[in-house]
Amino acid sequence: MHPAGLAAAGTPRQPSKRRIPVSQPGMADPHQLFDDTSSAQNQGYRAQRAPSGLGYPAASASPQAAFLADPVSNMAMAYGSSLAAQGKELVDKNIDRFIPVTKLKYYFAVDTMYVGKKLGLLVFPYLHQDWEVQYQQDTPVAPRFDVNAPDLYIPAMAFITYVLVAGLALGTQDRFSPDLLGLQASSALAWLTLEVLAILLSLYLVTVNTDLTTIDLVAFLGYKYVGMIGGVLMGLLFGKIGYYLVLGWCCVSIFVFMFPILQGVMMKPKALGGGRMRRSGRCG
Amino acid sequence: MAFTLYSLLQAALLCVNAIAVLHEERFLKNIGWGADQGIGGFGEEPGIKSQLMNLIRSVRTVMRVPLIIINSVAIVLLLLFG
Repeated sequence: MHPAGLAAAGTPRQPSKRRIPVSQPGMADPHQLFDDTSSAQNQGYRAQRAPSGLGYPAASASPQAAFLADPVSNMAMAYGSSLAAQGKELVDKNIDRFIPVTKLKYYFAVDTMYVGKKLGLLVFPYLHQDWEVQYQQDTPVAPRFDVNAPDLYIPAMAFITYVLVAGLALGTQDRFSPDLLGLQASSALAWLTLEVLAILLSLYLVTVNTDLTTIDLVAFLGYKYVGMIGGVLMGLLFGKIGYYLVLGWCCVSIFVFMFPILQGVMMKPKALGGGRMRRSGRCG
Repeated sequence: MAFTLYSLLQAALLCVNAIAVLHEERFLKNIGWGADQGIGGFGEEPGIKSQLMNLIRSVRTVMRVPLIIINSVAIVLLLLFG
């Protein structure tokens, strides 16, 4: 039995001898296509994985099957798929350097009860007693378990909702056009970036040794979008008075909300090592 | 409001340019903001002013070469696209 390869085109082949099951990834289906249309002797043999056995008689089959049956293109496909796997590994390894994916996952570990409680807290923080974030062996507990922990789910959703609600408000005033949505989003993002930079600069200048990472800061600053949505919706329903009232209320609530939470996060004792990145105001 | 991310970038570029053109000897020393006038010993609290002076000095050192590149790119883009 000679190895799968360049069988002469005309020889009647014994399927059982010729098919050496060489496993090539992802090649199962094209063989069936090829098998059905190739020379009559191969009828009925379910091709397993011997692409190289289906040699040159492929010319009689459809050009697509011929392309797939060609040993060189088989190798190329195998090489391509292994290359893709390698590339995926490389991306997975390196993406962690630029975007801390595992850390981001922490911020999205929320559940419905947390979201409900947090939204209530954002709008009415006056009765909340305990603002400390619970720690679990030096890393903060996931937001699912502690209402005081920052998360990125609410700010992200609130940001998108705010852009849409702003579009709605513009629409009721007959000023809407689709590119204005992009402008609103870009504008809100620019303000957020400005605030984050201002707070980072102030923290640096005042040399506070805090546990506050940049993502935390983005999360805390993103909570204001909830109030903004409320304000715009009230403004749509009740006009200017409603808008200013709700806006004022949300401003005060956010202020009362931010104060103890930032205190709770910033005054963490330095004794806790490892865990999260530290932001130190002092150089070196 | 046309406050986009791009205008934020432009403003940031202008601010960093402004910091980069502050001359160490002729200007900063005269108002007591030179980089070597800040160290008051190894005390606990560096103080806002020394932090600021450190920041200015580090921005000037770090951003000197990248600023050339970014400024050239910005000039070309502004010439082409207004």
